[in-house]
Amino acid sequence: MRGSEVIPRRTGNALCALLLVALPALAAGEAMLSASTDVRELPLDDTLVLRITAKFASRDESGELDIPVFADFDVVSRARSEQMSFSFGGGASSMARTVITELTLTPKRAGDLTIEPVKLEYRGKKIQTEPIAIHVLPAGQAAPGGGGPDARADAADPFADVHPGQRDLLLRAAVDDDHPFVGQQVTYSLFLLARTNVSSIEKLVSPRLDGFWSVDVEAPQQLVPEQRILDGVPYTSYLLRRRALFPLRAGRATIDPAEVQVLTGFGMLFSRGTSRRSSQPLQIEVQPLPPGKPPGFDAGNVGQWTLTATADPAAVGVGQPITFRLVASGRGNVRDLRLPKLPEIPGVRAYDATTSDKESIERGRVNGTRTIEQLLVPERTGALEIPALSMDVFDPVLKQYRTLKTERIPLRVTPAEGAQAAAASVSQNLLSAGGVRPIRLRLSTVDRAAPPWTQPWFWPLLGIPPFGVAVGLGFAGLRRLLQIDPGEKRVKLARGAAAKRLKGARALLQRGEALAFYAEVARAVTGYLLDKQGIAAAGLTREELAAALRARGHGEETVRRLVRVLDDCDRARFAPGSGEAPAREAMLGRADQVLNELDRGRA
Amino acid sequence: MTLLLALLVAAAEPPGTQLFADANAAFLSGDLSRATAAYEALISEGVTSPALETNLGAAWLRQGKRGLAALHFERALFLDPGDEDARANLLEVRRGNVDRLEGEPEDGGAETLARLLAPLPAHASGIALVILWAAAWALLGVRALRGGSRWVSLATAGCFAGAALAALVSWGAAAGRRIAMHRGVVVAQSVPAREGPAEKSVSRFEVHEGTTVQVDDEDSGFRRVKLANGLTGWVPAPSVELVVPPGWAGRPVLTGSARAERP
Repeated sequence: MRGSEVIPRRTGNALCALLLVALPALAAGEAMLSASTDVRELPLDDTLVLRITAKFASRDESGELDIPVFADFDVVSRARSEQMSFSFGGGASSMARTVITELTLTPKRAGDLTIEPVKLEYRGKKIQTEPIAIHVLPAGQAAPGGGGPDARADAADPFADVHPGQRDLLLRAAVDDDHPFVGQQVTYSLFLLARTNVSSIEKLVSPRLDGFWSVDVEAPQQLVPEQRILDGVPYTSYLLRRRALFPLRAGRATIDPAEVQVLTGFGMLFSRGTSRRSSQPLQIEVQPLPPGKPPGFDAGNVGQWTLTATADPAAVGVGQPITFRLVASGRGNVRDLRLPKLPEIPGVRAYDATTSDKESIERGRVNGTRTIEQLLVPERTGALEIPALSMDVFDPVLKQYRTLKTERIPLRVTPAEGAQAAAASVSQNLLSAGGVRPIRLRLSTVDRAAPPWTQPWFWPLLGIPPFGVAVGLGFAGLRRLLQIDPGEKRVKLARGAAAKRLKGARALLQRGEALAFYAEVARAVTGYLLDKQGIAAAGLTREELAAALRARGHGEETVRRLVRVLDDCDRARFAPGSGEAPAREAMLGRADQVLNELDRGRA
Repeated sequence: MTLLLALLVAAAEPPGTQLFADANAAFLSGDLSRATAAYEALISEGVTSPALETNLGAAWLRQGKRGLAALHFERALFLDPGDEDARANLLEVRRGNVDRLEGEPEDGGAETLARLLAPLPAHASGIALVILWAAAWALLGVRALRGGSRWVSLATAGCFAGAALAALVSWGAAAGRRIAMHRGVVVAQSVPAREGPAEKSVSRFEVHEGTTVQVDDEDSGFRRVKLANGLTGWVPAPSVELVVPPGWAGRPVLTGSARAERP
């Protein structure tokens, strides 16, 4: 823990100094010894300052200081300073001499360690300090309530490089970090150092702070003195103003001098005067954020932040509101912070979000809290979930980007109570429509028979009529197609019929029926002429018959032979005995030959 | 003679009439569990009656079982699409349903049309379709083969028009029946609808008792259900009951009152 328990290092030093001032005047030949440390708790890789103050009543003599060999600490550095002071009391003056020895120690191990007592032997007397208990944490672990680079920067001595020389009044401006990142806090402090008494501050002109967003950290209404020793000369320092600056852009930034008008002197009895002083200008080199920004990183998200999400209540009825809160809190400029937006959640209606900011100052650092509240109304029951949200920030202390994530929030949405009671009857006699009807007392049964179209016979039955019609029409058409013209049939069968008749004639010939034979031969020829040639020979003279055959393209010789066959048949029929057996056989051959010729001539 | 008439009347009464009367008496006296058991017993005996289903639905509703009530009102409408009591009671149940669907119906109004056409006489329209269809084709055949007068042509056109009308009515009834065969009702008080047929699947939404769904598929003890607005998910099979009564379209007849033990 830095300082004396909870008091910061600088204040602790001031108290030590005040303690020295407040020490009672020492009797002659006496000495006083005290030891203190700036911290009581520190990490193993840190150092502490052991301040040993020895005060003697003699200006020239000094005792023998015995600094022990520390078992648990190594001595890193050693410094020694002396002060002389005069005091008046009881009509006599006295002088005191103060020797301050500062040892910078580093612990050897972690745990509860002890700084051994320091001994002093002065004019034969031995005095010693009390042992000091120190708690050492493991390396790299910051002490609670401070520690780390920020605390170190906070504890940086703004007067380390001040050499006032002979000046009795000095206005000093300081920043705790002259190489901050964009968006990182820089603490600007304005001190008045005085060797004379300061009655009041008549006027203070703060510099313009272009390129920064700033906020007051401390603006004391009363002057609080703090003793400082600069180059061995005691000064009183007064903090006039402390502001937190947040650089808005990278590059070199200059803070102009501040001005102060100071009223010096004591009350009415001592001379009073007015002095005007200006501070030195300050140069700050603002660094851009390092490379490696996450995609979508917002430049305002710089600081040490935490992100939490809550939903209240987590179990509701459908249609009931849920308050979702997304809270970013930590150290940094909350006004530039950009929080993630809640995505659309299926089954949930989200209303517009409201944002509220809260700022506070703790240990010189600007802290903030940004809260986003959003009303969610689930529209369906069941298990819903608010998804995890993430936000990328740049931590200037760790000098790295970090991703802050919230946890997923499960929601349980139950049916609204109103829905369950929707069917409940109302108490008034409202004769509105609806309500459950009374039961029926008569048991009416229904036929379980399946509808006709589910029966296997239904679709075939529907198909039969068109099929029947199609079959009927098909048969009719087929019949028409198969019907043969008798004329054509006779033409086709003419030669066969003639041959059949000639065969019959041969049979008659064999039976010896000569007349019937010739008559049959003549019928074979005339029948052929009628069927095939379309010539009714019975009604024609031989000349007309010959002319008709010639008109059909038959040759003259064929026509002549045909006419002779017909004439011979007529002659044999009407002049019996004229035909002998060989002549009859020849007649068959001639008739057959002439029919063949006719058939070839007209198919 | 009087005895003979009484015997004839008794023979004309449907089976289970006495048990139905007992169940109604139990209902009216407030003994709802006994009434429910009696109604269920009648169903397990194979009695199919819209009145029985309507009364059983009313008994379940009085006991706060909205899902089972909706199921039996739907069954009554399946058996008799024109049952006004069942329709009114079903509307009453739906009015208090937890689930409210958003979005247009996905079937484009086919279910509405089917519902409108379903009360039309399905059996009569099927028979009329067969007769008119056959007559129309017979007249057409006669006219084509032998020719015919103007009256034959008019009769043919009239028969075809009548057959078309009967076909439309039959289609409506068939569509309604087809939809009804896949209709289901959520009987569990609340059940998560998952992306797959497994308990480990992600739950997309919840459905509650009384909501009507279409059952598309069944696998591994789960049923794939689709809501009217297209929301689809898998739910445990016992949580959704098909509207088709047991014994219809191949469904086994219930032999016990297992439904009474469901949540």
